[in-house]
Amino acid sequence: MTAPGGSSGAYSFSLTTFSPSGKLVQIEHALAAVAGGTTSLGIKATNGVVLATEKKSPSLLLDTSVLEKVAPICPNIGFVYSGMGPDFRVLVAKARKIAQAYWKMYGEHPPTKVLVQEVAAVMQQATQRGGVRPYGISLLIAGWDSHRGQSLYQVDPSGSYWAWKASAIGKNTVNGKTFLEKRYNDDLSLEDAIHTALLTLKEGFEGQMTEKTIEIGVVTVPTAEQMQENSGERLPPTFRKLTEQEVRDYLAL
Amino acid sequence: MEYNGGSVVAMIGKDCVAIASDLRLGQQSVGVAMNFDKVFPVNDKLYYGLPGLATDVYTLREQLRFRVNMYRMKEEREITPKTFTHLVSSTLYEKRFGPYFIEPVVAGLPSPTELDPHPKPFISTMDTIGCITTPKDFAVAGTASNKLFGVAEGLWEPDLEPEDLFETISQTLLNAVDRDALSGWGAIVHVITHDKVITRQLRARMD
Amino acid sequence: MTLLAQSPMSLHDTYAAPVEHRFNPYSENGGTILAIAGADFSVIAGDTRQSEGYSIQTRYARKVFQLTDNAVLATNGFAADGKNFVRRLKQSLEWYQHNHHKQMGLKAIARLIQTMLYGRRFFPYYVYNILGGIEEDGSGAVYSFDPVGSYEREACRAAGAAQALVQPFLDNQIYFKNQQPEPGAEPFVPGRLPLSTVLGLVVDSFTSATERHIEVGDGIEIFIVMAKGRSPESLLDEKLGEGMTIEEVPPVGEGGEERTFLLSGPLKRD
Repeated sequence: MTAPGGSSGAYSFSLTTFSPSGKLVQIEHALAAVAGGTTSLGIKATNGVVLATEKKSPSLLLDTSVLEKVAPICPNIGFVYSGMGPDFRVLVAKARKIAQAYWKMYGEHPPTKVLVQEVAAVMQQATQRGGVRPYGISLLIAGWDSHRGQSLYQVDPSGSYWAWKASAIGKNTVNGKTFLEKRYNDDLSLEDAIHTALLTLKEGFEGQMTEKTIEIGVVTVPTAEQMQENSGERLPPTFRKLTEQEVRDYLAL
Repeated sequence: MEYNGGSVVAMIGKDCVAIASDLRLGQQSVGVAMNFDKVFPVNDKLYYGLPGLATDVYTLREQLRFRVNMYRMKEEREITPKTFTHLVSSTLYEKRFGPYFIEPVVAGLPSPTELDPHPKPFISTMDTIGCITTPKDFAVAGTASNKLFGVAEGLWEPDLEPEDLFETISQTLLNAVDRDALSGWGAIVHVITHDKVITRQLRARMD
Repeated sequence: MTLLAQSPMSLHDTYAAPVEHRFNPYSENGGTILAIAGADFSVIAGDTRQSEGYSIQTRYARKVFQLTDNAVLATNGFAADGKNFVRRLKQSLEWYQHNHHKQMGLKAIARLIQTMLYGRRFFPYYVYNILGGIEEDGSGAVYSFDPVGSYEREACRAAGAAQALVQPFLDNQIYFKNQQPEPGAEPFVPGRLPLSTVLGLVVDSFTSATERHIEVGDGIEIFIVMAKGRSPESLLDEKLGEGMTIEEVPPVGEGGEERTFLLSGPLKRD
């Protein structure tokens, strides 16, 4: 006996079925899960991209150094999310695998857009396949590649994706976006963007903002010199997470 | 490799690359066709040659055409010589334990980018299972490869202009295939420059 | 009961099959030789590496030998056979001199070599020979042989490990294959190149072969035989390559007016 909605067999149906009004309520519920998640935001600057997020600890006893919300996928791309942590880790694992498969085929890291499309396809599949539920997260993806330069994308549980100059997801989306709209301009430098990100995060932040309670990832546009390939040496990564010390320094300013 | 015969050579010049092949298709010692092209374009800055078993030439060419077109659509850009080399290599290695009997040669001019406004001309070659080498001077493959090595080593010099590169690669190919029973029966040369590709069929010994 | 019976195969699965061991009288010792004829000179060259498989036996083994005042022989293939062949050839040439009170001419040496090689038609010297020198009419000449004595006079020839690398290069540069003279210019005639050009091609051939063939390298020896009346000045004025030395090789007999020089130098050792 196979239970209805089981993971295989001819009688397994997708849980995401259209309502008479044409909505996929499962996706709406997933978006609700995202909207309940902690705030994350991203800003594209002239010479880089910044990703920032609030890191909430449910207990004083938790070792927060192990919590990771900003995840490098490959040396030129990083993710941050709002929503369900476990779903994020699954997607990060899948995205890293996609990036490695790309490397294996072409000998270089995937361009941001290509990785975004592949990850979006994974998320879309979860809205149509049998026996699965949609991912309960939205992603902000920052990356750099030689073809399109630095870019910032958002992917939603439905699999829709957009390229942003700046965006916020999670609990404070509306306030965050309004704040960003006021602060954003087209010739923002990466340093300015990091400060703007911190200010945006501060809006509606619960508790003290410290290097332990936020995480920051940055994309830096490399110089031609940095892209010079030397045998035996790897190119420096264009995406990296700021260390706690660096975050402390930015907060102090 | 020796069943159908054939050879390819590629050379680097000053802001140009050249790739050339013979036109013979044989069945062991018997000549079958004298118009069997082994060099194909990917785009107007990138060519590749597939010397080896003729049936695999067709299969691999179609496979690569498919993959390059998929790349173009997914990435919305032209593939670079270096990336294409990796693509060919991966395609060959997929058949690690039942390989295509082909030793590809790639020659191309990478387009200038913001970060690399003066990219160097690029050539590469692989063995049948996709192990890449990227020489700074010339690459040879096929049944006349040892002869090509000898002549190219004697004739090639750095920074040849397109016309001189044409002469050098033509002489290298012709004199090498004339000493190879399985290569020859005509030759074709492509010289790739930034503003055009010069393609010429050579008058060669037909014996 | 049949279940317990042993299969016939397992009763006999450990028996010793006779293994045949046979002595192989031949080996291949690498290296490359080359000769080019000019109008009134002949150049005969070889590298000095001797190897077996991937091992280098010595970095200096001669492959090119002066036979008479106007003949030099280069030998390549199985080194032991080569050495022995040259020894017996030299003895024949000495006998000839005693009997005829003159040195044997180049054409006759070539014929002698073919007779000696064919004499061993069914247990051949595993050697490729190239004979260079001055013909009795004063012209530079090159004769090439296969191991059983098939021979031919040519303007140039390469043999040995890097033959495939060098010969097509010489076809192009000596025989002017695949080249056409400019409209109205003199037609190309092989075997008429000046000595300096020929020496340049010889050195280039060997450096190229050294670069791409593991069995070629260490050193190069170039013998130059000059016809009567040709001034050796042109040679002594020659700008030598790096590390190259030149010496005159003393005549074997009375000394005619032909002169032999030995130009030797280093090749890459890797």
